[in-house]
Amino acid sequence: MDWMKIGSALLLIMMLFVIYPRVKHELKHGRKGSQKEWLGAFALLGGVALFILLLMKSV
Amino acid sequence: MQRNSPVIERTRGQTLEVNKVLKNTYMLLSATFVFSAIMAAISTMMYMPPMTYLICIGLSFLIMWFVLPKTANSASGLVTVFAITGLMGFGIGPLLNHYLALSNGSQIVGTALGGTGVIFFALSGYALMSKKDFNFMGGFLLVGLMLAIVAMLANLFLEISGLSLAISAIVIMIMSGFILYDTSQMIHRPESSNYMIMTVALFLNIFNIFINLLHLLGFANDD
Repeated sequence: MDWMKIGSALLLIMMLFVIYPRVKHELKHGRKGSQKEWLGAFALLGGVALFILLLMKSV
Repeated sequence: MQRNSPVIERTRGQTLEVNKVLKNTYMLLSATFVFSAIMAAISTMMYMPPMTYLICIGLSFLIMWFVLPKTANSASGLVTVFAITGLMGFGIGPLLNHYLALSNGSQIVGTALGGTGVIFFALSGYALMSKKDFNFMGGFLLVGLMLAIVAMLANLFLEISGLSLAISAIVIMIMSGFILYDTSQMIHRPESSNYMIMTVALFLNIFNIFINLLHLLGFANDD
């Protein structure tokens, strides 16, 4: 096991520790979106996915 | 008429605050990008070893977690923001050298850079123009990010290239969602949005999209 892997693993574990309280808070107190709002958001993310596929085909 | 004026005053005040946060954030974001690009160019020309990436990213995260929250409300916060973004720029030097060494490396880097710009301007522009509140995505995006980190951790030991590509694609989707979320935070909750923290948040979204797009384009170039 090289140092890069150990360092990356430590950094990722630290990220989990930092993010976890925010995740808990957001899931408990965050606003719930309507079906229409989710559809709108996923349509935008779908557009991003299509754009990335297009970029991958172009190189 | 008299009864309506406080409402008008409050609305006008909030609009001014939104404009101030947006203006400051985008101005600082542009400045940090120029600085980060200079640092990346220096690191690329110096042919820094691969370990540089991990050290710089690790340091910038430590500054982001422990120094930025304490300095974000003072002028020294600007130094912190430039330290974070400068370190991240310097860190990607070895990565850029790796891709630039490929046969059409400059095309891959250029496409990743242009693609990242298009994604950012399209999503941030949409959130600004439509004025929709994407605050409801917060929990979903954070859970997605946590799962992506767990998958990254597992793949450090499993080393499955397909999983690594899937993670890159998912991280791009999550960071795109965060662009919508962060931009709408500045519009709908300007009082709780510090422009230095928002700059770092948007910088991180763009940085992650660029790195992961580079990975996907590098793979697409292989075949």
